[in-house]
Amino acid sequence: MLKKRLVGVITVRGGWAVQSFGYRRWLPLGRPEVLAQNLDRWGVDEILVQAVDRSASRAGPDFELLDRLGRIGLSSPLIYGGGIASVSDAARVVQSAADRVVVDALMHDDAEEVRRISGHLGAQAVIGALPLAVHEGGLRWLDHRTGREGELRPAIVELFRLGIASEALVIDWRHEGSAGAFDERLLESFPVPEVPLIAFGGLSEARQIRSVLGSARVAAAAIGNFLNYSEHAVQRYRQQLAGVPVRPATFSSAGQP
Amino acid sequence: MNRGLACRRCLYTDRHPLGLTIDEEGICSGCRIHEEKDRFDWSARWRRLEELVAPYRIRDASTYDCIVPVSGAGDSHFVVHLVKERLGMNPLLVSYNKLFNTPLGIRNLANLRIRFNCDLLLQHVNPVSVKKITRATLRQFGSMYWHCLAGQTVFPVQTAVRYRIPLILWGAHQGLEQVGMFSHEHEVEMTRRYRKDHDLMGREADDLLSIFDTLNEGDIWQFRYPGDDELHAVGVRGIYLGNFVRWDPRRQHEQMIDTHGYRSARFERTFDTYDHVDCWNYMGIHDHLKLVKHGYSRVTDHACREIRHGRMTREQALRLVGECSRAEPAHVDLFCDWLGIDRRALQFIVDCHRNPEFWEETEPGRWAPRGNVTGLGADAPGPTDNPGFRVNGELEFGAERRYVTVGKGYPG
Repeated sequence: MLKKRLVGVITVRGGWAVQSFGYRRWLPLGRPEVLAQNLDRWGVDEILVQAVDRSASRAGPDFELLDRLGRIGLSSPLIYGGGIASVSDAARVVQSAADRVVVDALMHDDAEEVRRISGHLGAQAVIGALPLAVHEGGLRWLDHRTGREGELRPAIVELFRLGIASEALVIDWRHEGSAGAFDERLLESFPVPEVPLIAFGGLSEARQIRSVLGSARVAAAAIGNFLNYSEHAVQRYRQQLAGVPVRPATFSSAGQP
Repeated sequence: MNRGLACRRCLYTDRHPLGLTIDEEGICSGCRIHEEKDRFDWSARWRRLEELVAPYRIRDASTYDCIVPVSGAGDSHFVVHLVKERLGMNPLLVSYNKLFNTPLGIRNLANLRIRFNCDLLLQHVNPVSVKKITRATLRQFGSMYWHCLAGQTVFPVQTAVRYRIPLILWGAHQGLEQVGMFSHEHEVEMTRRYRKDHDLMGREADDLLSIFDTLNEGDIWQFRYPGDDELHAVGVRGIYLGNFVRWDPRRQHEQMIDTHGYRSARFERTFDTYDHVDCWNYMGIHDHLKLVKHGYSRVTDHACREIRHGRMTREQALRLVGECSRAEPAHVDLFCDWLGIDRRALQFIVDCHRNPEFWEETEPGRWAPRGNVTGLGADAPGPTDNPGFRVNGELEFGAERRYVTVGKGYPG
């Protein structure tokens, strides 16, 4: 049986790792590369670095950050999102440090370019991110650049149906950063049942993560702010998820970076 | 030139080395989190703390309930007061010998141990290694204080592992207090990540080693953080009391002066007479390096805190910061003697770490602020009001002006 994954999320804004609350309030945390190194030592299954201000400012991917991440020699797979607007951006991101890329705004701006990225890197290296909310029974998508909600367009759904992206990062943006608040209806409502989902946004309690990972549609639970409040947060989740097919907790010895 | 966004309420900018966010109303994350101090039910927060520490109380007096890191200054008196006299716990006090000790700091530490009737464990790392480390950190990233920060943040954790005392009680969380890194309700605890990222400026002990340096493993191993396996085996956990007490260092120090004999002293580079009286260098060369690298000095931290507590206006704070930041760092001669370098060599190293975002070299060896150094604008500071911090001692405490490498304590 395939193991389910715990993904550590590092949200980056203005070059700093931040805590993010509902896509509208941020608190500083520190250097993204120090957070990544720490998550790596704790034995997270994947690290997602999302530079949330790169698309809105048209700054492109944060290659300086990727360079720093590349130098620390992570053993955990690295996912990067933020500012990717073309095949060349995506290819350079992977050449820099990342194993996979996340696209969000680009799916709406230029679905054809997403297809080309998928063709170039392979679909297994592409994740589609969707900040969503359940509204009157349907899913609404948030354009994080403008703060406006709109419909989840059929063209986006079609990208997933065609297997352009290997997984969908389903983000409960309204509850992002709020303890125990992830809306599981988002997972049930996702219109392409065959696409594995990564749940993110308000996942903080082991009971809730167990419930989310219990869904056959969910491949991974992604956790952000809540990994920063105490030592060994990842290992604690693993211990509390006994019976769920996740890797057991590991604790490194002294002298390890 | 981007001068950085400044908070409309306090004096911090988004160039703060811990990171700082500024919201749509122009208010920084530190000020926003500070608002919680006037909003929260602190009686309920205290009850929450009592619940958290309850499982760690030792019923048979066979060992200590917890570890409390202390020094001859800072919030140590107040923290021990909370732990011993309000929580009723039996702490083991631990202290890292920073070597730059003032006689007053030695006196305050002795007073702490005697007045609270606690056991105290001191760690002395050999000064040869400490000097080698200081030379390396000064050269590599312009810090002469790394060993103090590393020692005081790792020795309590090492002691927790060695003595198998899982609970460490710290005072306030610097990142929360200064830049609002966390809400008090997040109840953030001690982590190795925060220590490396912020306390140690991104460099743990092993990161100092280089094949191009004489510093070796034998010099730095005392500063290594215990392994995750050791922390897990003991269940080590570090709780910050500032998440459960309405933290106000000025009021706390004044309470400790009145009730527990804490002694303060005057500094040229800040109006706060309570902090750092145990160290010749913190408010001297260390503070000067902070100004050189980050464009603001410790007095700005003190001023921001006083603004947030409503005891100082922004204008008054700016005048005080301007006046104090212009003061020459004191006791540099002691540091040069200790490290075995002359002042020109030190000045050369300091200038190597001048941040060009804040300073420009107007002629060889002469530097001027670019206008975005907090408090060092074009205008000379105006008249400053005395903010009323009390002085009831002096750093020398009647002894010589020298480092007290090993102090036994002073009566009275």
